[in-house]
Amino acid sequence: MIESLLLVGSGIGAGLFGSLLGLGGGILIVPLLTLAFGLPLLESVGVSLICVIVTSGAAAGVYLERRVANLRLGMTLELFTACGALVGGLIAFLLPERILELAFTILLVYVAATMIRRRDAPPAASPVPDAAGAAGPAAPASPAPQLVVGRSRVRDFLDRLSGPGYRIRNLGWGVIGSLGAGVASALLGIGGGLIKVPVLHVVMGVPLRVATATSNLMIGITASASAIIYLLRGGIDPYAAAPTAIGVFIGASVGSRIAARVHLGLLRGLFVAILLYTALQMLLRAIA
Amino acid sequence: MTASTPGGLLNSATGAGPTSTIPPAPEPPGLEQSIARLLTIGTYLSIGLLAIGFGLMLAQGVGPLSGGPAFDLARLPGDLAALRPEGFLWLGLVAVVATPAARVAASLVGYAHRGEREMAVVATLILLVIAVSVVAARALEG
Repeated sequence: MIESLLLVGSGIGAGLFGSLLGLGGGILIVPLLTLAFGLPLLESVGVSLICVIVTSGAAAGVYLERRVANLRLGMTLELFTACGALVGGLIAFLLPERILELAFTILLVYVAATMIRRRDAPPAASPVPDAAGAAGPAAPASPAPQLVVGRSRVRDFLDRLSGPGYRIRNLGWGVIGSLGAGVASALLGIGGGLIKVPVLHVVMGVPLRVATATSNLMIGITASASAIIYLLRGGIDPYAAAPTAIGVFIGASVGSRIAARVHLGLLRGLFVAILLYTALQMLLRAIA
Repeated sequence: MTASTPGGLLNSATGAGPTSTIPPAPEPPGLEQSIARLLTIGTYLSIGLLAIGFGLMLAQGVGPLSGGPAFDLARLPGDLAALRPEGFLWLGLVAVVATPAARVAASLVGYAHRGEREMAVVATLILLVIAVSVVAARALEG
């Protein structure tokens, strides 16, 4: 009973933190389950993938309803994130746990460094936006650009992937980034937004708000492609997954509603400290 | 402001495009609304099933770290009928995993209906990758 409630509470904490800081809960769930509850890393990744799908599903619904996410672009790229996730999901069961722990340590340090660098900037978006409008209205579109197009079908297709005020570029890099995000998601139990959002925004020229929403939309299929493998290969424990997923869902929902009222500076500092402490624990576990 | 892109020139202010100009195709609003509704319903349904399973876990004194049973589709109806927690938990987890695929299937129908062949092909390929995931996991399981 106490363990169950602790799992729900941990899920709430992970979802809340993730939501307030614009990250998915996955970055915290895997170390929490592994280090605090003693679950094998692969099972923790499996549970984390379930949590990631749940939070992204609720958020993506709202983003689509508000017409912030680019459905065509998201679907095109998620074909490649799903391929990456398929490969990642298959090799996850072949890799020694130590390698995955080291990879997760690197990820934690990377996220901590990213958080330190952008400590003055507001979070990109909450994973579960408040249906009542906490995430705010869609950003006003800049004047629609005039697109100079060729006659090739590829160019026409790129035009159809573009949205109001922006035109997609560097689709090839987007495909490569999506493949990488899919592999990382499957191996580490994260949504992959850490890779997808920069690729969409910086490399492909998608506005940040649209990039965040579109990345969120893609997380469902990405995590789903590998979660199926975890599920069928015994990598998901239903008893541990349910309380964690319920907790994360509650935490992310609450986080999106209170995000505007919370002072994020202190929270971000605390989060960085937790990430670095967790990275150290994970590293010690890997080299033990 | 003019920016050069691999795909051509993007001229956002002057509109001085030297050749043909087309606006980006708008997303069909009906399709987006339907998919949004599907995702929301799927998510809440999944959480509801997981919550029922979790409630049964608590009622029956099942610990979350006691090691759950393996997934067995054939046992699911019996577990549900007997109100065993694992029945609801597995059904909830299947619903979680299936919701994004259902979203892609709905997109496939929507795009096919609108005659957008490229997007229908993309949706079909995504579903194919999901199917390969199932087959590969089953094959490695054996």
